[in-house]
Amino acid sequence: MPDSRGADKTAATLELRGVTKRYGRGATATTAVDDLSFTVPAGMICALVGPSGSGKTTTLRMINRLIEPTSGEIVLDGQDVMHDDPVELRRRIGYVIQQVGLLPHLTVGENVAVVPRLLRWERERIAARVDELLALVGLDPARHRQRYPVELSGGERQRVGVARALAADPPLLLMDEPFGAVDPIRRERLQNELLRLQQRLAKTIVFVTHDIDEAIKMGDLIAVLRQGGRLAQFGPPAEVLANPASDFVARFVGADRGLKRLSLERVRDLQLGTPVTARPGDDAAAARARVLDDPFPYLLLVDAEDRPIGWVDQDDIGAEGTLGADMAVPMSPFLSPHTTLRDALSLLLGEAVMAGIVVDERERLLGLVSVEQIAERLRTPVANA
Amino acid sequence: MPEIGPLVDFPWLLERVDMLALRTAEHVWLTAIAVGAGFAISFGLALLIRRLPIAYGPITAAASILYAIPSLALFALLVPIIGRSVLTVEIALVGYTLLILVHNIVAGFRSVPAEVIDAADALGYTAWGRLWRVELPLALPIIVAGLRIATVTTIGLVTVAALIAPWGLGFLITDGFRRFFPTLYLTGAALSVALAMIADALFVALERRVTPWTRPAEPPTTPERATAAG
Repeated sequence: MPDSRGADKTAATLELRGVTKRYGRGATATTAVDDLSFTVPAGMICALVGPSGSGKTTTLRMINRLIEPTSGEIVLDGQDVMHDDPVELRRRIGYVIQQVGLLPHLTVGENVAVVPRLLRWERERIAARVDELLALVGLDPARHRQRYPVELSGGERQRVGVARALAADPPLLLMDEPFGAVDPIRRERLQNELLRLQQRLAKTIVFVTHDIDEAIKMGDLIAVLRQGGRLAQFGPPAEVLANPASDFVARFVGADRGLKRLSLERVRDLQLGTPVTARPGDDAAAARARVLDDPFPYLLLVDAEDRPIGWVDQDDIGAEGTLGADMAVPMSPFLSPHTTLRDALSLLLGEAVMAGIVVDERERLLGLVSVEQIAERLRTPVANA
Repeated sequence: MPEIGPLVDFPWLLERVDMLALRTAEHVWLTAIAVGAGFAISFGLALLIRRLPIAYGPITAAASILYAIPSLALFALLVPIIGRSVLTVEIALVGYTLLILVHNIVAGFRSVPAEVIDAADALGYTAWGRLWRVELPLALPIIVAGLRIATVTTIGLVTVAALIAPWGLGFLITDGFRRFFPTLYLTGAALSVALAMIADALFVALERRVTPWTRPAEPPTTPERATAAG
């Protein structure tokens, strides 16, 4: 599996040219999607966002021809999809729907294997691919392969859905409100996972959401749709936030679009603070001296692997003896380098703490991020706006 | 009734085990053919209804009328037309299975969640592949439940059919009555009851067998720990 962005060449450019969908005829005809044109370059995530009735799901479903367009062209890597056999086309396009849509009578492994089986891959190749994908989305193949969807949590089902969509290495992924059915904390986590996955896979992704915050966070490009399936604005999130093309977009993006700009930056973009750390068993007096020297009045206890155990108030550190793990007080939830500043801020404010601990994938300490640092970003204008 | 001796003459029965086995086999065969043919017809009708939902009303109405005819009356009505043959018996038996089977097969297909069908389409199943590998397995519990009712009902009706044609365990009963021989008609009654119950138990087992996905093999995984870490 390639581990650098762009190393995997299996991404396609998607182009919509004057795509229109009308239902009915004559006076009773309604237009669901109206003359939609935009291009998603290979390897980019395009978020389709808009209120209900703006035709975003219809647009998505026309791309793999679950719905046939009334007119217009949908071009995938230079080829009009209308010339393809729809069944064959769908096997080349990954699709993740809101309720995940796992086949309940198939195990996790069989669900992931559906498209490779339809494509008549060799048995060994399918088995290897299933394990590879389950591991990729963070599920233990040995533990999950034989389970049925009913045995999984919502988040696990979501991951299986993503693994299944990726099974035949499709150049294009369609996602219809993929995180619509999970709670906000898990959604944030799944969003981050998808973004991290995308750094490795660099697929072309069309992502439908009604949530402008999710669109800003996930999209390299945002297509804002309005009632009647008309394109209100298309561009990078920063541009949509900074220069809304119309009153509609400005209202849809919201009055707090200044705050929303925080969604465009991530914890990794900040200069992380370095806390005073010590390990259980370290000399208390030495640690106390170090923490008294530091403006931040707490010491962070970490284990041998640098994984945070908890905070110790400098006043609780004795003048002699050693530090013990029992002295540590519980910490707020960890932040990831991929967490957006907006999510980080709401988390810190929600926990009523002034600083959050940033850890890597294996929960090893990377540094601290403070509310003040984030607030500072709010005061400076967005560079590319 | 004989004046002396017990109600059931076991030594007499033991000498005629072959005959009992034959009658039981006949009973099973008449039932299997009726349910098999009824299922084939019903499945075809259900596929038609799946394509053409408007056909559901007329088809079930016709099957209901058929179902409402008393069984002995139907056998009697068919005799002048077809004679006293296996065909007479089977036509009537098949007729009685249709209502239950069409109803349950259609209900089975309709029980498949719309989002599952949608997902199957999006994955690239052909219409045929989706029917056999997605819709049918998910419809099976309700279809098997229908087969269970149809089979048990048919076992009962085959007993009645002995009144017009000399086959099956029902013939032991009619023959036993004719000869005032309790050993024969009680054995026929006991065996048909046993056959119906065994068939019922087998279908209950089958119902469980076809839905492994509804019963977790292990307890569900613990909910994930909620952290903001990605």
